[in-house]
Amino acid sequence: MDKLTTRPTEPSPEDAPARFQRFNLYDNPFPANPVVNQDSTDKRINGDVYEMEIRSREYERMVRGFLQTPQTDVNHLRLGYIVDTSYIGRGNGKSAFLVNLQQAINREYCLDISNGVNKCFALYLKPEPGGRTKTFASFVDLLFHSMLRAGIVDTCLAILRLEALSRVYPDVPLEVGESDQELKDTVRALNSEEWYKDRQLEYRKIGRAIVENKYLQSLPLTFPILRETQYLRAEPVRQEDFEHTYCEGLRRPAERMEFVFTDLIRLFQAAGFNGAYVLVDDFEQIPSFQSARQRTDFASELRACLFDGLSLNARIGFYNLFLVLHAGVPRLIGEAWEQSGMAHRAPIEPPFAARHVIPFEKLSKAHAVLLLRKYLSEYRIDAAGSDGLAPFTEGAVNVIGEMSEYNAARMLLMAYQLLEKAASTEGQERIDEAFVESAKEELSLDLGRDIPGIQEAASLDLMKKAQDEE
Amino acid sequence: MANAVPLTPRISSVKRFYFLEYFYVLLKSIEKYADREQIFESFKVLKQKHRLGESKYRIRFDIEDASEELSEHQISRFRYTFDEVIDEAREYDLITEQQGTLHLTPRGAELLGLYEGGDVRRFNVFLFECMEKEYQEPFRYLVKLLYESSTKKPGLLIFPTYSPRQLGFRREEITRSADIMNYASVLVDRLERDIDEHLGMQRNLDEHNRELLARLQSSPSRLLPTAPSEQFDPRAYNKIIKRFRDHWIGYFLNKIYGYEQSLSSFERWTYRGKQIGIVYATDFYPSFEGRIVYPTSVVLGSAQSRDFRRLYEYRDGMGLFVHQPDWESISDEFVKELVNGYFTLRRSNRNYFVNLSSLRELVCYSLKISEYLFEEFLERAYRLNLSRKLPIGISLEVDKLPEETTAMYLKREPVLVDGRYRNIIAIDVAKRS
Repeated sequence: MDKLTTRPTEPSPEDAPARFQRFNLYDNPFPANPVVNQDSTDKRINGDVYEMEIRSREYERMVRGFLQTPQTDVNHLRLGYIVDTSYIGRGNGKSAFLVNLQQAINREYCLDISNGVNKCFALYLKPEPGGRTKTFASFVDLLFHSMLRAGIVDTCLAILRLEALSRVYPDVPLEVGESDQELKDTVRALNSEEWYKDRQLEYRKIGRAIVENKYLQSLPLTFPILRETQYLRAEPVRQEDFEHTYCEGLRRPAERMEFVFTDLIRLFQAAGFNGAYVLVDDFEQIPSFQSARQRTDFASELRACLFDGLSLNARIGFYNLFLVLHAGVPRLIGEAWEQSGMAHRAPIEPPFAARHVIPFEKLSKAHAVLLLRKYLSEYRIDAAGSDGLAPFTEGAVNVIGEMSEYNAARMLLMAYQLLEKAASTEGQERIDEAFVESAKEELSLDLGRDIPGIQEAASLDLMKKAQDEE
Repeated sequence: MANAVPLTPRISSVKRFYFLEYFYVLLKSIEKYADREQIFESFKVLKQKHRLGESKYRIRFDIEDASEELSEHQISRFRYTFDEVIDEAREYDLITEQQGTLHLTPRGAELLGLYEGGDVRRFNVFLFECMEKEYQEPFRYLVKLLYESSTKKPGLLIFPTYSPRQLGFRREEITRSADIMNYASVLVDRLERDIDEHLGMQRNLDEHNRELLARLQSSPSRLLPTAPSEQFDPRAYNKIIKRFRDHWIGYFLNKIYGYEQSLSSFERWTYRGKQIGIVYATDFYPSFEGRIVYPTSVVLGSAQSRDFRRLYEYRDGMGLFVHQPDWESISDEFVKELVNGYFTLRRSNRNYFVNLSSLRELVCYSLKISEYLFEEFLERAYRLNLSRKLPIGISLEVDKLPEETTAMYLKREPVLVDGRYRNIIAIDVAKRS
């Protein structure tokens, strides 16, 4: 038989509909594992698909209580709590909220939100799992690394160079783009030696102009930006040099704290920032692994750095911290807060509604609809050709909401599973209450929240073991 | 020897106390004093010191302060226990009575020495041998009963119990006779379902239910009024619910598993066996409402596996072997089960810490090991973890979980590791550098 020319009896199909095409979707828009991972490229889980409307109340409180209060106001709030009051566990959308809040602040460095009063950047950090962030020193390390990840040091260096450039070489044209990518390119260019060489600019002059900045005068000579003009051949320092100084040069925790809570603030101020918002997600991971003593020590050091210590930050309140607390955490850290005096500065459970406590509430029916609609709209093949919620009916969304106790992550997981099931069921065009009801058994199993019963638990058969030859 | 006539174990004559440590308390008191009253005084003090109560649970000091004045009722209970321990110690030839004074025999002194030398395990085994001899092999009977009554899950006996709250009733709603009857019928449905599900049997419990209700209504106790709409004495609530509990545990024991004696004798043998490491019993297995009992030993002619230790040789050549693997042979499996159990418990709990006693129940059942082996192995794993020689990280704390109430810790023994009682545990499986 000639295998080169013989064709199969059935020809290959010319085309077939995509798996989710009949629902007007090009993929399953819901995440199979609904846990926010900021570094992922999948927009289902990196916080990109986000309906701000759902958390508009929390956002408004944030804006009014923090973002719009001038940083120059000595009484501005320096520590806030986002407290989950819902008692439904993980997946209420706090991480997604924070990631989007960070983006909203960094979009225009808060200038738009505060009507030009504040120029602040936002940092997002998460304690390492498993109790590795236990001491305040390790928390400071985490804070510093979140700055590196956000590239804020590079940005500040570029701002300083840009300003110096316009003074030293007023005739050199420099166009700064609008888009994120163009901005990034500009920052990278301004921080590279080649860029200056290519344009035959003498970097030493620019470096000298930078160190004239009044905020940089009190810094120690070992601070990276001051080093660049100390040698014969001047070259622009970069973020990596700061990282090297911090990790290799500063060994003692006290030195590192000085670096983060005083020296770096000077750099940020020189670049025109008057504050920063530090969003600490999953704060519970710190006290959960601490002993009572460690909790009190941590709280005392936090208080010293934020309010009462000698650092520049304690004096002017540059960094504003937001701690995200799950429902049980206030009780966990209450005693430490009391003993360290934090409870007087920023009580976690104030007796009356306070601006610094932002309750993070349980989602409602309307929110559930908004949430699913947002995800669906991101994956529509033809955005005009659907009512937004299809193939889900509103009734089905209500059932999903109730079954998952309006926990955002569980709703998304259920939606994912239901859509998968509908796609594999021929002729299933709609996901309505009846369909959810019929799939209930599989769903509740898949959500796997319960501990298996004793009948399912595996156990050694002793009699067999005793009789078996080894 | 193999044809020896099987003995009829005297299981019902067991004396009325649970803790084997009572023997130590008695022997120690007799070592110091000869006069019965003085011995009793010392016995009272030591009993409190070792947290020995009259039930199978240890006394918690935060609840019952040792320095408090004892009521007459308490004293009479203590004296009863005291007399029971003396009787049993005499049966084992540990003490003798001479003209109204009590003295240690050489055997008694030997046993006391074992405890004081820190070898509690050998102390328990010594007593086990006494019991096995004196009561005509009660533990052999018990282990055999367990294996014979449950073949689906070898040796596992379940005793489901449900309080009204667990069945969705609210305490304040239960005031009339009719409310109790309502609870009774929901309970019967649930138990029938459990029997079907766990044991694969069809049982109709209506008649036994009627019997129980009739007993509650009849004299002398008359806990329940006969007219359904009539209210019962609210002070009797706990007593009534306990009757339900005991009745149905007794039903399972006698009618399903075929134990021919009283529930209380069964309880005493199982909890004594638990201290020796022969059987395991718990009321707190996660995800199961009620009690479970299973053997951690076997009765065989010989055991092929080296993980078994012969505790006793019977007249017919059979032996009782306890499952007692070495750390070296079980370490990997133990750590694996610890991690599995930890993640199982975390499924229903977002906290990084889980209740250590719950984890103990899961691991002990899975590996069929005794409580003291669990403690020993956990201690070893914890020390390896401290010296960074374990692939996982273990964090043990004395604190309690925020969502758990003190009541949940009342009856559950904490786990002693590294010299401190630990209540909660967290595990980090990320490979450490």
